Amino acid sequence: MSLDRKTARRLADRILGHARRLAPGADAIVSLSYGRSANVRFARNEITSSGDVTETVAAVTLARGQRHAASTTNQTDDASLVALVERADRLARVSPEDPEWLPPLGPQRYRVTPPQHDAATRDLPAEPRVAAAASAIAAAKQAGVTVAGFHETSGGASALATSAGLFAWHESSNIELTVTARTPCGTGSGWAGGTANRAADVDVSRVVATAVDKALRSCAPRALTPGRYTVILEPQAVAELLGFLTGSLDARRADEGRSFFSRKGGGTRVGETLFPESITLGSDAADPLTPGAPYSGDGLPRQALTFIDRGRIARLSYDRYWAHKQGVHATGAPHSLHLRGGTATPEDLLAGVKRGVLITRFWYTRPLDPKSILITGLTRDGVFLVENGAVVAPVTNFRFNESPVTMLARADLLGRETVRVPQHGLDLRVPALRTHDFHLASVSDAV
Amino acid sequence: MRLSRRGFLAATGSALASAQVALRARDASARGALDSDSALERLVQQTLDAARKAGASYADVRVVRRLDESLSTREAHVTSAASSESYGLGVRVIAGGAWGFAATSRVLPVDAVAVATRAVAMARAASHAVERKVTLAPEPPHVGAWRTPLEVDPFKVGIDEKAAFLLALDAEALRVPGVKFCESSFHAVREWKLVASTDGAWVEQELTRVRPSFSATAIDATTGDFAEREHDIPALQAGWEHVTRSTLLADARRTGEEAVEKLRAPSVTPRRCDLILAPSNLWLTIHESVGHPTELDRALGYEANYAGTSFATVDKLGKLEYAAPAVTLFADKTTPGGLATCAWDDDGVATSRWNLVERGRFVGYQTTREQAGWIGEARSRGTSYAQDYKSFPFQRMPNVSLEPAPGDRGLKEIVAATDDGIVVVGRGSWSIDHQRHNFQFGGQLFYEVKRGKITRALRDVAYQSNSVEFWRSCDLIGGAREVELHGSFYDGKGEPGQVNAVSHGCPPARFRGVNILATDTRRGG
Repeated sequence: MSLDRKTARRLADRILGHARRLAPGADAIVSLSYGRSANVRFARNEITSSGDVTETVAAVTLARGQRHAASTTNQTDDASLVALVERADRLARVSPEDPEWLPPLGPQRYRVTPPQHDAATRDLPAEPRVAAAASAIAAAKQAGVTVAGFHETSGGASALATSAGLFAWHESSNIELTVTARTPCGTGSGWAGGTANRAADVDVSRVVATAVDKALRSCAPRALTPGRYTVILEPQAVAELLGFLTGSLDARRADEGRSFFSRKGGGTRVGETLFPESITLGSDAADPLTPGAPYSGDGLPRQALTFIDRGRIARLSYDRYWAHKQGVHATGAPHSLHLRGGTATPEDLLAGVKRGVLITRFWYTRPLDPKSILITGLTRDGVFLVENGAVVAPVTNFRFNESPVTMLARADLLGRETVRVPQHGLDLRVPALRTHDFHLASVSDAV
Repeated sequence: MRLSRRGFLAATGSALASAQVALRARDASARGALDSDSALERLVQQTLDAARKAGASYADVRVVRRLDESLSTREAHVTSAASSESYGLGVRVIAGGAWGFAATSRVLPVDAVAVATRAVAMARAASHAVERKVTLAPEPPHVGAWRTPLEVDPFKVGIDEKAAFLLALDAEALRVPGVKFCESSFHAVREWKLVASTDGAWVEQELTRVRPSFSATAIDATTGDFAEREHDIPALQAGWEHVTRSTLLADARRTGEEAVEKLRAPSVTPRRCDLILAPSNLWLTIHESVGHPTELDRALGYEANYAGTSFATVDKLGKLEYAAPAVTLFADKTTPGGLATCAWDDDGVATSRWNLVERGRFVGYQTTREQAGWIGEARSRGTSYAQDYKSFPFQRMPNVSLEPAPGDRGLKEIVAATDDGIVVVGRGSWSIDHQRHNFQFGGQLFYEVKRGKITRALRDVAYQSNSVEFWRSCDLIGGAREVELHGSFYDGKGEPGQVNAVSHGCPPARFRGVNILATDTRRGG
């Protein structure tokens, strides 16, 4: 079954009906999702596997007073839906009371966000995916390199309904293509990727050409002493580090003294200027490049939020409970993060750099210290030495130990173009940027 | 640590039907969309026939029901109680020498046949871009059933009983002055799976895994500093008895005290010194620096676009001195309680134990039926796994463990033999490069060792090394007495990403002259 608005409403009403009958007086929240996802995987210049899956998932949360529980199934026949409600009720009845539980939301008013669904992308047959993989392989063979990659198209709908009368429905589709090229000498590797709501908006040949070019240019890397360097981070690298800031944007963690944004002695650092004036960070479901559903998982309307406004901490995010407790407006957690771009061209980012490093992306990034948001990780698939404003040679990979906070605090140039990068379960929109004293801590022999 | 074959509830031939009935009858929810076992068997056979008729030279079918139940608390209340169920059928085929895969959550004849046909069409489409045609290593057609040996079915223990246990942990830790927050959780997974293939495999398994967790956070409001201590209890393939028999409750207050001790401890001074890893820390280092590098698909470039490749390339097999001569590391899908333990893998191959590193030398890879021939091996090692019905089965890590040394040397004896070192307990931050050379790991608790004695607690410690250099520096390994089995519930690999659960057994061990970093130097050493 697909899940158009009408079908979704009918299915949600069936589950809410079961809930009214089987758990009279209980609050109920129903969430539904329907999606098709199809992919092709390739490596060593050949296709290695492919897949095509369609699934509908129904979930219900039931609350008897402050006792609540949730249950999920991918079977939508009536017996399974009854069992779904019964299971949630059984758990809810014996769950201890949760003083933080708030009753479900009633009808809400949502903004209109840009269209995110393309039926042609959702229904894309196997042949165009295979053709994309085959074209990547052909380009790689011609360039004398080996490619591995992943091409996935997906599409579907989700819906949210509550016993208090809320009904919300949202459709989206997506394409993601990533390609890694490696050179036969064993010392060069390059990566590129593209993502969009419409399959037609990802330029396969451009992604492949970038990965191949990076691989060829990164052959025979020069050794470079570990240390602190001026770095030019491409958007993928910026997003990988910036995503770690998200958890710290939660107001509760800051109020509780467990976040970078906690103030010594209590309270938060909202209002303090911690970054240069060029840094503005926000989230907006209506952003044309990273659009999202106009509502969050619990049905809260998503507003445009500015977390960092020209260097100053402007606000943090509040879930419903913490907003209620603090007497402020609930925002929900952000679905996206947008680091506003600057004015620099790629050449500007290099210009004036006496000695620095250009980094394509990071890998295996992990938090080391939650207070300073110190992150460790490695560079990968294209690292280059920059001297006197020009890229002069490939260099070996590095392990770094650095924080997104210091990355932003020391940034002096932001790229003009911003790019959509899915990362950390969010859609990030970020520019390339230049920052200083970036700690490349040790050499990695990985290629 | 070996599981006797007698421990397996194996059934063959005519005993199959009764074993299946017994297994499925245990759990009413395993009935699925069909009313009877014979109907499901007919449907599976129909699906295999449909794939063959559409032109598949090989096909296998997985019918999988997965149940998840989780409960979380913070401080004195439950934050979430959730249960989820997924059921469906996946078909994997070879046609034209290429793989094809499709899946449906509607386990009905019409949908199953349609999925089989679609999988063959996808394989045919892909076959034009395949250089090396897929061939499978031979395997006898196993028929049987197996399930996790357990005492208390976690899905039959009331959520109230589980919540009471977790809330008691929180309450105990919150009694410690300085402890302000604590979180606890319990996650149980049941995976019922039938794998049948055109080669004659027909195996049915029910795996149950449990993962308790508990942590306490101490806060110093005047400095704005905080520290978290996560308890070391491992996830296991077991029942609720793993939780009730654990030391969790007895340790709850100490866990809070350790958080406070950690908060007050000085930062480490960066330098090189000996490193003594407790099993609760060493397991993850084994996972990252031995488990992943010895995956054959990774070594050959099949994971190059995501997880990466490996320094342990095929030309080094049998030659590379991976570790010190005292070190033997083995793979084992039959370890009792191991998260990756089962009787047959998702290719229908009988599971076993074999060495990856033997007395220091790199001697083995993890393989599937497709991969065995790639390195000239006649049989698969049985490491194929798909996380659910809608996932393509591929090579996943078995339990990988460090062989204990003879005798009964323990952590205490290793500390006594160390002049200048640091003991690391518990899992902290971990990161390793995409060819598995350069790694950097943290921990939960750290203790300075001077002249054979623990002198004080430290914090902010990370150790950084390269896999081969690190394993070659291993000079003391504990005995079997202190072997512990720890593991990961959520090990990721592949595109689309799949999760595998895997265990690692090890005693404590010492590594010489390792690079120690400070992850925060604000506090001073």
